[in-house]
Amino acid sequence: MELGKLFRDKLENAEIVPDPSINVRLMRRIARREFMTFNPASFNVYYLGTLLVAGITAAILLLPSKEAPVVFPDKVINEVTVPIPEKSDIEAGKTESLNTRSEPGITKHVSDKPEKIQENSRIPVNEQSEAESRPSRVDHKTLSAPVVKNDILTKESGSDKLVSSSKEAGSLFVSSVVDGCIPLKVRFICTAIDADTYRWTFGDGGVSYDKAPQWIFDVDGEYKVTLEVYSGDKLIGKSYELIKVYPRPVANFELSPEKAVIPDDEIRFINYSTEAVKYMWDFGDGTYSELFEPQHKYTQFDNYDVKLKVYNGFGCADSVIVQNAFAGSKYYIEFPNAFIPNSEGPTGGIYSSKSDEMAQIFHPSSSGVNEYHLKIFSKMGILIFESNDINIGWDGYFKGQLSNSGVYIWKVRGKYRNGEPFTKMGDVTLLRNQQ
Amino acid sequence: MMSDNQIIEGCTRHDRRCQQVLYDKYSRFLLGVCLRYSSDKAEAEDILQESFLKIFFNISDYSGTGSFTGWLRKVAVNTAITHYHKNLKHRYHVDIDEYVSVETGISSFEEDFFTSDELYMVLNELPAGYRMVFNLYAVEGYKHREIAEMLGVDTNTSKSQYSRAKAVIRDKLEILRKLRKNYSDND
Repeated sequence: MELGKLFRDKLENAEIVPDPSINVRLMRRIARREFMTFNPASFNVYYLGTLLVAGITAAILLLPSKEAPVVFPDKVINEVTVPIPEKSDIEAGKTESLNTRSEPGITKHVSDKPEKIQENSRIPVNEQSEAESRPSRVDHKTLSAPVVKNDILTKESGSDKLVSSSKEAGSLFVSSVVDGCIPLKVRFICTAIDADTYRWTFGDGGVSYDKAPQWIFDVDGEYKVTLEVYSGDKLIGKSYELIKVYPRPVANFELSPEKAVIPDDEIRFINYSTEAVKYMWDFGDGTYSELFEPQHKYTQFDNYDVKLKVYNGFGCADSVIVQNAFAGSKYYIEFPNAFIPNSEGPTGGIYSSKSDEMAQIFHPSSSGVNEYHLKIFSKMGILIFESNDINIGWDGYFKGQLSNSGVYIWKVRGKYRNGEPFTKMGDVTLLRNQQ
Repeated sequence: MMSDNQIIEGCTRHDRRCQQVLYDKYSRFLLGVCLRYSSDKAEAEDILQESFLKIFFNISDYSGTGSFTGWLRKVAVNTAITHYHKNLKHRYHVDIDEYVSVETGISSFEEDFFTSDELYMVLNELPAGYRMVFNLYAVEGYKHREIAEMLGVDTNTSKSQYSRAKAVIRDKLEILRKLRKNYSDND
């Protein structure tokens, strides 16, 4: 058998078990990349966490809000009548004001859109089983058909509008919104006239006895909010509303390469967002992208803030911003702290690996330096040496004479290839050969 | 049991669980590839880690044409080549021309005679340059022209390295065969 075939046959599909520590190390590396790489200088997981908390707080404060682009259902309510079933007397699952439902006014608008029944109800909606007696109602319950259309992202604040789920006389309260993104703040106002006591249950365990309570739903799901009104001790009415609370996606990303240098490097944006279907990147230089993982090349060096905003199928958003994403540069310039000049005479300062072996010329090691001005001073402040060429270092001589051993001060100014300026200062010890 | 498509979709989203499933499913196979290109298991495991990082962060490069296993193997092979280049200057340079091949007169081997462990051992003992060329030509099936481009040498170098590699391998296999014969003779 031919040699190649021997190896191919035996080894082509051979399996070797890796050491278990490899798996651990690999996953740790990946986890580290996810959190620690935005900007090693000023970013870490705590900063990111703070940003997320700040973002969510801001979202709460702005709700019902520009931040929660749920035009979908609001639009629905505007166009059409009542997507949601009534408030009616549901005691025995019978309805007295049943007339509300079969009305022609209640159109099945949702059938225009692909339907997806929101299954995440936190509280089982018992009344759904009563659907038999009211066939039309079931259709209206199918809210949440989240197809992301471009128009849903234009937000309108539904905050001041009070929505009545039913225009009928049978409704006992109105809600400021009937659906939205988490965390969802809803204002309920009882409109019953003869009541003096109110009891609300919000479907997530919360209860209120106010006439017009406000409630925040902080977990996504479908909630049945019920109001019972009493006159004295007598229950005079009961109605409910279904509130749909949509989850939010989580925006998250990192840059690659880790210590990117702009404008040289083409930057790749790695997308760690979850539950998102639409992405909007703002690269901070006036350009944008809607790709999942875009690549971008900047045309000049600057402090750019990179922002990613993501939307899920419900139109809810989350965003994350990395400020000054490219502050860490891999360009550098560094000087040694001592050198031993050649005692045989000035060499002009041109250095090589040979002269470096004996540390004879004082010069920097660097990467990406474009402009360079070096000055060396004695301790008394006398300018001893100057060079604008990074290839010419100091050979230790001043006016033809070998300088005294001791400490000298160096100061360098310049610019890296990307335009980033640098200024550094330090001291260097001149050692004389012991002959 | 996740299908490859589900795994790929999850890994595109950087879903940690899907990444773990991918690792569990293919790490043994990929280590088998990496070990062919290494001098020992530790080096192979280094290449394996680097390969998985590349796989996880470039999974979107897999277009769906061709087998997924084939794509994974390509990533591992490319990582091995990168690793080889990186280590070139640190390697103990054996002047490969000094290898003297003992004419064995044997040009073929019985397949069942050698275990995969023994074949791995032979590969691990080769000089890195020979090992690269032999793997790429004889196992991976690349042409010398392609190998030359991947390794940054010219086509003739690839050809001569391949034939020298084969000579060394034959010598080692012959030694193995003799050893085994001795053992069984002494039973």
